[in-house]
Amino acid sequence: MTVPLRRLRPSLARYGLTAAMALILVVLVAAPLATILIQTLQSGGGAWADVLASRLSQNLFWRPATNTMIIGLAVAGGCVLLGGFLAWLVVMTDVPGRPLIAFMATLPFMIPSFATALAWGSVFRNGRVGGAGGLLEGLGFSVPDWLSWGMVPTIVVLIAHYYALAFTVIAAALSTVNGDLVEAAQMTGASRKRILFGIVLPVVTPAVIAGGSLAFAGAVSNFAAPALLGLPVRMQTLSTRLFGMIEIGQTERGYVLAILLIAISAIFLGIGNRILNSRRSFATISGKGARPRRFTLGTMRLPLALLAWTVCILTTLLPILLLLAASLAPSSLSLFSDWTLHYWIGAADPAFARGQPGIFHHPQLISALTTTLMLGAGVVFAANALGLLIAVALTRQKVPVLSNAVSQLSFLPMLLPGIAFAAAYIALYGAPIGPLPALYGTKLLLGLALTAAMLPFAVQTGRATVAQISGDIDEAARMTGAGFFHRLWAITLPLAARGLAAGLLISFVNVIGDLAITVLLYTPTSPLLAVLSYSYASDGFHQFANAVTLVILVISMLATCAATLLRGRRRQTFA
Amino acid sequence: MISLNQVSKSFAGTRVVDDVSFSVPEGAFLVLLGPSGCGKSTMLRMLAGLEQPTGGQIRFGDMLVADGGSGFALPPARRDAGLVFQSYALWPHMTVAGNIDWPLKVARLPAEERRARIAEAMEMLGITQLAQRYPGEISGGQQQRVALARMIAPRPKVMLFDEPLSNLDATLRVEMRFELLKVHAATGATSVYVTHDQVEAMTMASHVAVMNHGRIEQFDAPERLLAEPSSAFVAGFVGTPAANLIPIADGKWLGTIADAALPDIAGHAMVRAETIELADEAGPRTVSVTLAEVVPMAGRRLVTGVANGVRITAITDSTDRLPSNLRFRLPPAAAAIFDSEGKRIS
Ligand SMILES: Nc1ncnc2c1ncn2[C@@H]1O[C@H](COP(=O)(O)OP(=O)(O)O)[C@@H](O)[C@H]1O
Ligand SMILES: [Mg+2]
Repeated sequence: MTVPLRRLRPSLARYGLTAAMALILVVLVAAPLATILIQTLQSGGGAWADVLASRLSQNLFWRPATNTMIIGLAVAGGCVLLGGFLAWLVVMTDVPGRPLIAFMATLPFMIPSFATALAWGSVFRNGRVGGAGGLLEGLGFSVPDWLSWGMVPTIVVLIAHYYALAFTVIAAALSTVNGDLVEAAQMTGASRKRILFGIVLPVVTPAVIAGGSLAFAGAVSNFAAPALLGLPVRMQTLSTRLFGMIEIGQTERGYVLAILLIAISAIFLGIGNRILNSRRSFATISGKGARPRRFTLGTMRLPLALLAWTVCILTTLLPILLLLAASLAPSSLSLFSDWTLHYWIGAADPAFARGQPGIFHHPQLISALTTTLMLGAGVVFAANALGLLIAVALTRQKVPVLSNAVSQLSFLPMLLPGIAFAAAYIALYGAPIGPLPALYGTKLLLGLALTAAMLPFAVQTGRATVAQISGDIDEAARMTGAGFFHRLWAITLPLAARGLAAGLLISFVNVIGDLAITVLLYTPTSPLLAVLSYSYASDGFHQFANAVTLVILVISMLATCAATLLRGRRRQTFA
Repeated sequence: MISLNQVSKSFAGTRVVDDVSFSVPEGAFLVLLGPSGCGKSTMLRMLAGLEQPTGGQIRFGDMLVADGGSGFALPPARRDAGLVFQSYALWPHMTVAGNIDWPLKVARLPAEERRARIAEAMEMLGITQLAQRYPGEISGGQQQRVALARMIAPRPKVMLFDEPLSNLDATLRVEMRFELLKVHAATGATSVYVTHDQVEAMTMASHVAVMNHGRIEQFDAPERLLAEPSSAFVAGFVGTPAANLIPIADGKWLGTIADAALPDIAGHAMVRAETIELADEAGPRTVSVTLAEVVPMAGRRLVTGVANGVRITAITDSTDRLPSNLRFRLPPAAAAIFDSEGKRIS
């Protein structure tokens, strides 16, 4: 007995961690994906035929797919324009307040898209689909349907949410081209136009495409905005259609839609990623940059500054303020009169809000709040612990094939729209597997899915942490004879604690603001804040939805502020 | 060839370059030497035309290229000058050959000529085999060579370098120093080279301008900087090892050892390491020091000791064990005396 064990030990030390991580990743990522594929093919591929080529397929797939593509392309274009404009202002010009613009332009991503969608409704909603109108109707304007519901509001709200992604990538590219690269071109005597077309644009293009593809993937995967703004007028996207199919029990068709959605999103993300990492990209070149040259805006300085400030405020502060007003006003037609705290703390009163008590009297709110916080914390710790272990496995053990698989699998959830990923979890864990009970409707399943979804980000944070290990400080600790994990625990983690904590907080914000995964997997007995807000909104209780959303926002903002403080000034490298 | 007359530069009211005048002949290799932040890059960028002087004139030969008084400035491309950036500033979306080619294209050289120039420049720097690579795919040292090739291909009359070796490791730096001198000799262009490393200045320069706080401390040939430093700053900045600057007061070394040969002022005496001897016993002009370090160098030893908090370095040929009560004997006369402001008085 002892001999094989002794033989096993060295190989365990060499492969053990990687093998364990590979196993976990198979359970968390690969198995659910394989399951939906298999389940849709098992019944002779009937579901595929239904979705793609049948009487129903217009409604099931083609129309939602067209809507999805229109939204994705429009949002990508809008994000590139808006994010690119702000990046140009912040990096290349002398516009006043650059650091603050740079900071504000990254915030919209921290605000859940259903918050922005609800805020849009509070202003532009009309009475066409029942319920009262919004602020504009209250002021006596008649708001046309296209501005209240459907495609246009969905696109605007998603641009307001995702332009931060484009901003970040484009600003990074612009700051590499700014300064030396342009001056080297000036030395040759090239005209401004030639420098713009020969140097600046080619260097920035990969970043523009990458930023656009990130926004595209985000927009096509988004569930909240089309659900809140499109469903009331029957505008379907792939994500809302997929949700509908699963809700009414046509799971196989839902799975097919999930696979198609994954394919669309992954193709575009893949293209963007390739271009960004191509051999001609700025991201591949190193070198110490010079003091950036700022282009003087002259008389345009103030107007452009005002424009930038307006964009930043419209996409960050204003939605929050609107939600606040809308959670206090009894009539959605006049957001700023007769304010009452009823929707927050009022007791049930049959004469008021159809007898609904304020959210803090709602039997489910407190449990939703605690569930959200606990689940968020649990997921974030689990994901980051896994992320750290994976990073360790990837840097310390180079196992042929297996290491590569671990790396790819841990990155994969990044390509997966949340709602499609959730569908895959239902497919695998919805029914009992052998002796294991079905997990559908349990918090464990929700936790597992969210953990898997957070993994790419967590692995990145983990890699940054592990990268510090090769430094001198670690060598010093090594001299004392401390083992690798001991050093990780005693030296590296304390040193990396600030960055790690900031990473934890950011993923926490992402978890509590998620609706795409939770809306499919939540437990009916104990919903989460985001789901509670969504169900209030779909029942027409807007004040309550807004109030719950504000609770999420307050938590998100606290976490974001803490993360910003922890990271210190390192974040604001563009300005 | 290059002459500056009372050139100044202010950024938002702060003077970064202050009243600089000098001139160097054609084919010179001028090094601007000084600590970080002293205004070297700003000087170089004014020569390149990327920055405007706020006062004074710059001439290349007989041609006025910038005049701070009238605000006249010749654009960079019309100065016939090339610049190598500290970051290399290679355009990441062009191949190595493309990078070298672009300035030639802008200058509208015929295709035939361009091909020949690219080949020649790559040949000179030994990067012919990298022609089709992108900057992101080659090492730092290779990127440096590409930047040099790109600069020389248009055959500028003036070559400008901003700390080109500072991003390279030590061995590569020595190799590239040689490479740069080769390029300088082959092109015959006048070079201006910015660095904070005095070894680079001493090994490459025909002329050195030592800068401090935006002013020229001394403008001279490298040997003259060592032989006749005009300020305490220069004396302490150049030489391997730099000369000792020993505080003096009231005619006493370190304020304690009286010496009739010393002037009766407070300041510093410059004493070269090779003029200090190890003394076996106490005597006139001997200082007891605590041994700080011993550096073997070319068969000799640099012995550094500390007395009253002042580090003093001596050079010795002896290979004996150093005594525990180490003493230095100072020379009968200091090589130079500087007053408390650092100005040389003898
Ligand atoms: N564009 C600029 N605007 C304001 N201050 C500048 C600018 N460029 C340089 N400076 C300042 O001028 C001083 C000299 O800079 P520089 O010439 O780059 O020094 P060096 O190259 O010797 O290190 C520094 O204090 C720097 O901060
Ligand atoms: Mg400099």
